[in-house]
Amino acid sequence: MAYKPQYCAGQTVVAANRRKAMDPTHKLTKLRDVTDKDIVLIMGHRAPGSAYKSAHPPLSEQQEPACPVRKMVTPTDGAKAGDRVRYIQFADSMYNAPCQPYLRSYLEAYRFRGIDPGTLSGRQIIECRERDLEKYAKDLVNTELFDPALCGIRGATVHGHSLRLDENGMMFDMLQRCVLDKKAGVVKYVKNQIGEPLDAEVKVGKPMDNKWLKANTTIYHSLVGTAYRDDAEAIEYIQRIHSLRTKYGFMPKE
Amino acid sequence: MTEATFPQCRIVTERLLNPETTEKLLNKVVSVAGVRRMVINGPRLPETVPYGPAKGQANPHPMRKTIHVGDQEVALNVHVGTVLLEVESPDVIPALKAAIEPVFTDFTFRIQEGKYMKTSPSLVDYCKYGPDADKSMLGLADPNSKSRPIILQGIK
Repeated sequence: MAYKPQYCAGQTVVAANRRKAMDPTHKLTKLRDVTDKDIVLIMGHRAPGSAYKSAHPPLSEQQEPACPVRKMVTPTDGAKAGDRVRYIQFADSMYNAPCQPYLRSYLEAYRFRGIDPGTLSGRQIIECRERDLEKYAKDLVNTELFDPALCGIRGATVHGHSLRLDENGMMFDMLQRCVLDKKAGVVKYVKNQIGEPLDAEVKVGKPMDNKWLKANTTIYHSLVGTAYRDDAEAIEYIQRIHSLRTKYGFMPKE
Repeated sequence: MTEATFPQCRIVTERLLNPETTEKLLNKVVSVAGVRRMVINGPRLPETVPYGPAKGQANPHPMRKTIHVGDQEVALNVHVGTVLLEVESPDVIPALKAAIEPVFTDFTFRIQEGKYMKTSPSLVDYCKYGPDADKSMLGLADPNSKSRPIILQGIK
């Protein structure tokens, strides 16, 4: 029988959403249209329209050693051109944000190539060649994996994941990179991801409503969403892992 | 002589408060007789970016404003999430709750009783203030802080 990946355990909507996010055959729903130029502005690595800086000459101009692995693996566009490695970092609120740091690393590993994700409790960074990064960042911002109010693009000073939301429903940000335009109901980035002011505001769309967030979140939360204890299958799975890991410490002979 | 200990409580809100709501809330707190000391808590909003590649640049933030409480101007340096209070007697707490209830129309709040401020000097306080520390100052701020407390004229 052919191997069929199961992605993650659980019977609740949260687990189902996690599986959907990780499954590369599931096409992510596009919810907003942030342009290439806007993404470049928010990330702040280069001026929009400027040439990509390179770390080494293009592969076609390099003499590569005879290596079977190099023959097997097709380089990504960024690697082919010799782009430098840049990053984008997300902070996600635990109040029903549609994506979460651990899940981001999983789904990026399943969906993208040539990446180096770094996962922390409240934020997740992804590093890769610059032109690949811009393509991936667009997917991460324009689809159901992003909510303008509860996910933040933050290179430094990321605190906010576990804090209460503010009165406008926005996640706390010490540098206030994005603000809610109450009149238009749209979230605008006024600073780039490291906190430098932008010349022009970048609109990233309307925050999603609570009903949508509850139905599309990938984090368990007993107060505002689905409690982890309500997911019997996920609990059984985690308890099995915990038990096996503990027993392994004593080197059981079976 | 027995030392007087005063009851303490804290107001915890469901959301972090905008400066306008904070102003309303604190003015309601000030209108209640019997509040001795108050600390406004929350994540800090510095005037300049403290670290990272943009270190030292100005950090304009819509939640960092100067508000008017009682007869004083109060410069907010935090995004207010909790207000710690020391009151003169336990009877003040229900009165406080009744006074601030009208402020919270869109979200909820809780008043919790417990001990949230220092009442006796720690080693650091001893180093900073010496043996004769002013007890009304203890627990209000980090001893290293250069900012001074704001004294509000109560209604008593």
